[in-house]
Amino acid sequence: MWLPVMGLLIGILLGLSTEFRIPEAYSSYLSIAVLAALDTLFGGIRAHLENVFEEKVFLTGFFTNIALAAGLAFLGVHLGVDLYLAAVFAFGVRLFHNIAVIRRFLIEKWVNNRKKDRDMIEE
Amino acid sequence: MRVKGSHVIFSFVLLVTGFIIALSYQFTNENNPGNQLSNSQWRAEDELRNQVLMEQAVNRSLAEELREIQNQINEIEEVVANDERLYFNLIEDLDRLRMVTGSVRVKGEGISVTLRDAEYVQEGENPNNYIVHEQHIQKVVDELLVTGAEAIAINGHRINHQSYIHCIGPVIEIDGHVSFAPFEITAIGDSETLNGALNMFGGVVDQLLSDNIEVRIEKRNEIVLDPYFSERG
Repeated sequence: MWLPVMGLLIGILLGLSTEFRIPEAYSSYLSIAVLAALDTLFGGIRAHLENVFEEKVFLTGFFTNIALAAGLAFLGVHLGVDLYLAAVFAFGVRLFHNIAVIRRFLIEKWVNNRKKDRDMIEE
Repeated sequence: MRVKGSHVIFSFVLLVTGFIIALSYQFTNENNPGNQLSNSQWRAEDELRNQVLMEQAVNRSLAEELREIQNQINEIEEVVANDERLYFNLIEDLDRLRMVTGSVRVKGEGISVTLRDAEYVQEGENPNNYIVHEQHIQKVVDELLVTGAEAIAINGHRINHQSYIHCIGPVIEIDGHVSFAPFEITAIGDSETLNGALNMFGGVVDQLLSDNIEVRIEKRNEIVLDPYFSERG
């Protein structure tokens, strides 16, 4: 469990300490990328909890989502249509949906555990 | 818990996510102060714009003032030009008048009249009647002036309208300058006219001759008369 947490910490430190700066025109791409990353992350957690987690699907989904979102935003900027809003909307909806599923799953697990404990006590 | 492949992938994905989130956070942090500043910036900009407008108004009024001043300058220049023309005329007048008063050197054709005491005085006669007196010179000078002489000098001493000719025994004093006989009166003017006026029948020369004075008149092409003051310093 410590390896993913370490990875997250290192990533945050790298992001804070880096001198790499994105021009202001590309700030919308960054926000879309953040959303896509979070969405994929929560999707992965959900899949993990539902025991349908597939490494390849998760990894490709992560990068494809980010790239697709950025590409959509790029296309939107060049067409004069705010297409990145569509990405934001889609990712937002999926994010909430995933979180809701995870929550329900965790509650179910918790309730089951308590029932199991009670049964054990009754026995 | 053992390390599985999924953990490595998870950590990698989390690393990338953390990196992106941190970058985004930093980016917004950098931009936010700018956004917050923009309000005060806007106020400053407004102030500056007001200042610019004020300066423009001031500039406009100053330009108007400048135009006014230029008009004034034009008027003054016109006045100055008139004055200059006036001054030019005045200087011409002055030159002419200086010539008359004898404060400049003059040059031109004229005549020279030499008055000499009689060499021979008859016995028993008063020698006073045989020498040149100041009234003789006065007569010649008056005649020359009347005839239109522009400048006159006696023995090289320029005379003007204020000069006096004074008799002190055998010598004559002109403006404090003592002269002896023979007296040479030089005058600038039309030599023909001057000569004719002096030699008129019953005129000055005749009167002088009757007073036993030797008179010699010479016409000269060029006579130079020094200024009145230069001889006395």
